[in-house]
Amino acid sequence: MTDATQSDTAFRPKPSLPPPANTVGVVGWLRKNLFGGPIDTILTLLGVYLLYLIVQFAVEYGIINAVWTADTYRECLDINLGEGACWAGIGAWFNSMMYGRYPDEEQWRVNLGGIILLLWLIPFWLPKVTGKIQVGMSAVLTFPFLAASMFIGGDTGIFLHVMASIALTLFVAVWLHVAACYVLGRSLPELLISITGFTDKDDRLHKYVLLGAFAVGFVIALIYHMSWDLVEVQTTIWGGLFLTLVISGIGIASALPNGILLALGRRSKMPVIRVFCTSFIELFRSVPLITILFMAVTMMPLFLPVEFNPPKLAMVIVAVCIFAAAYMAETVRGGLQAVNKGQYEAAQSMGLSFWKMMALIVMPQALKLMIPNIVGSFMGLMKDTTLVSIIGLYDILLMGKAAGQNPSWLGFHTEPLLFTASIFFVLCFAMSKYSQHLERTIGGGYGRR
Amino acid sequence: MSAVDKAVPRRDARSISEIVNDERFRSIFYQIIVAVAVIWTAQYLITNTAENLQARGMSTGFEFLSSTAGFSIAWSIIDYEAGDTYFHVYLVGIANTLIVSFFAIIATTLLGFVVGVMRLSSNFVVAQIASAYVEVMRNVPLLLHILFWFTLSSALPSPKQSLGWLDSFFLNNRGLYVPAPVPGDGFDIVIIMVLIGIAVAYGVTVWATKRQMATGQRFPAFWTGVGLVVGLPLLAFFALGAPLTFDYPALKGFNFQGGADVPRAFCALLFALVLYHTVFMAEAVRAGILSVSHGQTEASYSLGLKPSWTLRLVVIPQAMRAVVPPMISNWMNVVKNSSLAIAIGYPDLVAVFMQTSLNQSGHAIEIVAMVMLFYMTVSLTISAALNYYNKLVQIKER
Amino acid sequence: MSLDTQLPDDGVHVASAISDEVVIELASVNKWFGEFHVLKDINLSVNKGERIVICGPSGSGKSTMIRCINRLEEHQAGDIIVNGTEMGTNIKNIDAIRRNVGMVFQQFNLFPHLTVLENCTLAPIWVKNMPKAEAEKIAMQYLERVKIPEQAAKYPGQLSGGQQQRVAIARSLCMSPTIMLFDEPTSALDPEMISEVLDVMVGLAESGMTMLVVTHEMGFAKRVADRVIFMDQGEIVEQNTPDEFFTNPKSDRTKLFLSQILAH
Repeated sequence: MTDATQSDTAFRPKPSLPPPANTVGVVGWLRKNLFGGPIDTILTLLGVYLLYLIVQFAVEYGIINAVWTADTYRECLDINLGEGACWAGIGAWFNSMMYGRYPDEEQWRVNLGGIILLLWLIPFWLPKVTGKIQVGMSAVLTFPFLAASMFIGGDTGIFLHVMASIALTLFVAVWLHVAACYVLGRSLPELLISITGFTDKDDRLHKYVLLGAFAVGFVIALIYHMSWDLVEVQTTIWGGLFLTLVISGIGIASALPNGILLALGRRSKMPVIRVFCTSFIELFRSVPLITILFMAVTMMPLFLPVEFNPPKLAMVIVAVCIFAAAYMAETVRGGLQAVNKGQYEAAQSMGLSFWKMMALIVMPQALKLMIPNIVGSFMGLMKDTTLVSIIGLYDILLMGKAAGQNPSWLGFHTEPLLFTASIFFVLCFAMSKYSQHLERTIGGGYGRR
Repeated sequence: MSAVDKAVPRRDARSISEIVNDERFRSIFYQIIVAVAVIWTAQYLITNTAENLQARGMSTGFEFLSSTAGFSIAWSIIDYEAGDTYFHVYLVGIANTLIVSFFAIIATTLLGFVVGVMRLSSNFVVAQIASAYVEVMRNVPLLLHILFWFTLSSALPSPKQSLGWLDSFFLNNRGLYVPAPVPGDGFDIVIIMVLIGIAVAYGVTVWATKRQMATGQRFPAFWTGVGLVVGLPLLAFFALGAPLTFDYPALKGFNFQGGADVPRAFCALLFALVLYHTVFMAEAVRAGILSVSHGQTEASYSLGLKPSWTLRLVVIPQAMRAVVPPMISNWMNVVKNSSLAIAIGYPDLVAVFMQTSLNQSGHAIEIVAMVMLFYMTVSLTISAALNYYNKLVQIKER
Repeated sequence: MSLDTQLPDDGVHVASAISDEVVIELASVNKWFGEFHVLKDINLSVNKGERIVICGPSGSGKSTMIRCINRLEEHQAGDIIVNGTEMGTNIKNIDAIRRNVGMVFQQFNLFPHLTVLENCTLAPIWVKNMPKAEAEKIAMQYLERVKIPEQAAKYPGQLSGGQQQRVAIARSLCMSPTIMLFDEPTSALDPEMISEVLDVMVGLAESGMTMLVVTHEMGFAKRVADRVIFMDQGEIVEQNTPDEFFTNPKSDRTKLFLSQILAH
C-alpha cells in the first residue's frame, strides 16, 4: 500500500502495448504481402492458382505418370500413353550425354582430370592459404596441358610432355603449400628456404632455391609422365557434357589473359594498337557466335596451308576463344575504369614501369572488382557453347538429339532437352548465386571501415 | 645556374641510348611491330587462301551474287522464287531475320516491363513468381529454349484438328494461320492520316508545353494526341467506306488456304526469343527503378507533387537513364540471337545464306564477309543511337 | 593579421638550409589542356633545401605545375630540369627523376589492396631492387618517423584520413627522395586531422628536405616556407618571403586573394 502511494509521484512509463493484432505476425505478414487490397488479393489468388497448375502438371508428368524402367521409347509410350516422362531413356543415354562416345573403359581419365581441377581450385576457399593469385594462375595456365595429355593420350609429343609435367609439379607444389600453410603456418617457399638454410642469405639468392626445388620436382614428374601409357582417344569421339566443359573451360581460361591484353590495347595511347584492338573487339562482339563458328569451320581450312588439317574441335575452340576474348576485353575494360585514377598516378610517381604498375597495383584491384562479371561471362560462355551442336559437334545437346533418332528411342526428344536444361540450370544457378554472394562480400571494399 | 646548363643534354647530339629510351621512339617502334605482325599474318592467310582456292579450282569475287540460287526457301516475308539470284537470297535472309527480331523486340520490351515491375511488387506471390521466371529462363541456354518449344509445337494437332479462335486464327503443327489484310482503294489515305495524326499530336504537345511554361495553364495534350492519332485515321477509314478486307484462312483438303501463314519454326523461335530476352529487359527495368534513390521520391512529395506527377517528372526520367542502355543492347542481342533459327530450320540470314548458299556456291569468304557486314551494320547503328541517347541524357557535372 | 591555422602561430620559423645548388629549373614552361592554356610561360628555379609554398585560387595551375615536375602531366613547351636531368620523352630520365622526387596527393592514393607496410616497401623492392628485409627495415623507420609504426600490418581502409596521409608521406620517403612534392595534402582531411599531417611536414622541413607544397595552410607557409608563390590563371603572379608576402603583398590580385582566404 505504502509502496503504491509513494510511487504515485514517480514517473512511471506507460507499458508498451502490443501492436494491433492484424499488423504483425502471420496475419500481419499475410495482410501486408498478400491481401493488401482487392487487386492484391486477386493477384495473389491468380498466382497461387498458376503455381498450383504448374506444380500439378510437373508432378503428374515428371513423377506420377513417369516411366523409370524401359528398354525402348515404344515401351514407355505403351505404359503411360505419352502423358508422362520417360526417364528410363535418360538412364539409357546418361553415359552418352556425359561423355559422348568416349570409350567406357577410358572414362576414368576424364573423371580424374575433373577431380584434379577441383582439387587445384579448393585452396581458393581455404582461408589460411596464402598466394591465392599464384595458385589460380598455375591452374589456369598449366592445367589445360595436363588435361590434354590425359584426355587425348597416345603419343603426346615432347611439348605436351614438358607442359604436363610442369602442371603435375605445380599441382603437387600447391598441395604441399596448402599442407605447409595449415600444419606449419608458413608458405611453401618460406619452408623450402628455411630447410635449405638460405633464410639468412641474401634475398636475391632465394629464387635459386625455389628454382632448384622446382627443377627436381619437374624431372621426377617428367620421368613419371613419360611412363604413362594411355590409349589414344581421338577428339572426334569426344562429346556430351564433357565436351561442353572442355570448350567453355578453354574458352574462359584463354579469355582472361587475351581479354586483358585487348583491353589494355584499347586503352593504349598508341593509335595503331588502339585501333587494332578496338576493331577486333567491336567486330567479334557485333556478330553472333554462330557466324564466328561458321567462319571457323569454313574459312580456317582455307586460311591454313593445305598440309594442316586441324580437327573440327580445334577450329571450334579457336572460334570460341576469339569470341570469349572480345567479350572479356570489355569486362576487363570496365574493371580498369573502376580503378581510381589516383592509383595510376601514385604508382607512376613512385617510378613503377607500366607493366609493374599494371601487375602490382592496377590488376589486383581491377580483377577483384571483376570477379562477379567474370563468373557471369563464364556462365554465358557455357550456355553459348551449346551452339557447337549446330555445326555438328556432339555436345550434350546434339547427343540428346541423337538419342531421339536411335531406332529404339525414336521420338525421344523432350526428356533429353529437359535433362540438359536442368543440368545447365543447376550449374548456372549455383554459379550466379555464388557470384552474387561474392559481389556482396567483396563489393564493400577493403578493410573494415 | 651554370651547373644546370652543363647538365642539359644537347638536343642535336643524341646518343643511341637516348633514342632507344625515348618515349616517342618506343611508341612508334611498338606500333610498327604490331602493324608488321598484323600485315604479315594477313599476308600469310591471304597467300594460303589463294593457294587453297587454286588447288580446289574455286574462284573468288562477288559475281556469284547475280547467278541463280536454284533452291527454294521454306518461308519468306518478301517474294522469293527458286530462280532468283543469290543476292536476292541475301535480302530474303535479312528480311526474315529482321521480321522475327522486330516482333521479338516489341514483345520483349513490353513483357520485360511487366516482369520487371512484378519483381518489385509488394505482393509476395507475384514477386516470387516473377523471380522464379527470371531464374529459370536465364540459367538455361537459349538454344535449349528454342529446341524445346519447337519440339513441343510438333505435338500440336494436325491441320484438321487445328486449334481455332474466332474462326479466323488457327494453330496446328504446321504453324499459325491468321487473316491477311487486303488493303482496298484509298487505304493509303488512311495510312497518311495516321502519319498526319502523329505529326499534329506532336505539334500539340510542343505547343501545350510552351503554353504551360509561358502562362501556367495546362492543356490535356496526351488525350488530344490519342484522339488525333486514333480518331483521324478512323474518320478517314469510314469516310472512304472501310477500304480494308481480310483474307481468312480456310481448311481445304489437308491444309489451310488463304490468309497469312506463319511457320511453326517462326512461332517457336519468336516464343523462345521473347521468353529468354524478357529476363534481361526485366532486370534492366528493375535495376533502373531501384537506381532512383528513395530520397528523390521523398523530396518530390515534400514539394507537394502528386504521386503520379512524381513518377512522371522525377522517377521515370531518372530510371530511364539506367534502363535505356541495357534495353538497347538487349535489342541488339535479340537480333544476334535470332541467328539460332538455323537450329530449327527457320530461314533467317545465317540459315539461307551462310549455310545453304555457302554450301551450294562455295564462296565462303564473300558470304561470311557479307553476313558479318549485315550484323555489324545493325550493331553499329544501334550503338550510334545509344551513344546519341547517352549524350542527350548525360547528367551535367563539373 | 590573424591566420587561420592548425599550427601554433608563435612566430618561430624553421631554420632554413638553402644551398646554392639549383635542383629544379623550370624555363618558359607552357601547357595546354586542349584549348585551355593552363601554364603560361612559367619560370622557376628551386635551390637544394629550399621550401616553397604555392598558393592560389582553384584552376590557377598550381597543381598542374608540380605534377609536371613528376611527369604526371606532360608539358608541351619549355624545359624542366630536375637534379640536372632533363624531363622529356626519355624514359630513363623520367624514371631517374621519379625515383628522386616523392609525391604526396590530396586523396592519399594509398594502394587499398596492400597493407601499410607493403605500400611502403613496394617501390623500394620493385623499382630499386632492394631486398625485402632491408626495405621493411627502412619502411619501419619512416613509419616511426610519421608516428604510426603500430599500424604497419593494417590495410589503408582501416586508418583515419590523417593516418593515411602520414602513411602516404612515409611511402614517398621510403624511396629516399631528394625532393618532395605535396599536392594539397590536407585539403581532403577533417579539421582535427590536419595538424597531425602538418606536424610531420614541419619535421620533414627541419630535416632539410627540398619541398614544394601546394596548400592553403597559411600558418604552415609562415612557419616553414622560405618562399611563397602566388599563382593565378596559369601564371606566377608574385613570389616572396613569407613575411613580405603576408604583410606587404605587391599585386592587387594577391591582396584580394589573401583578404578572401583570411576573412573568416
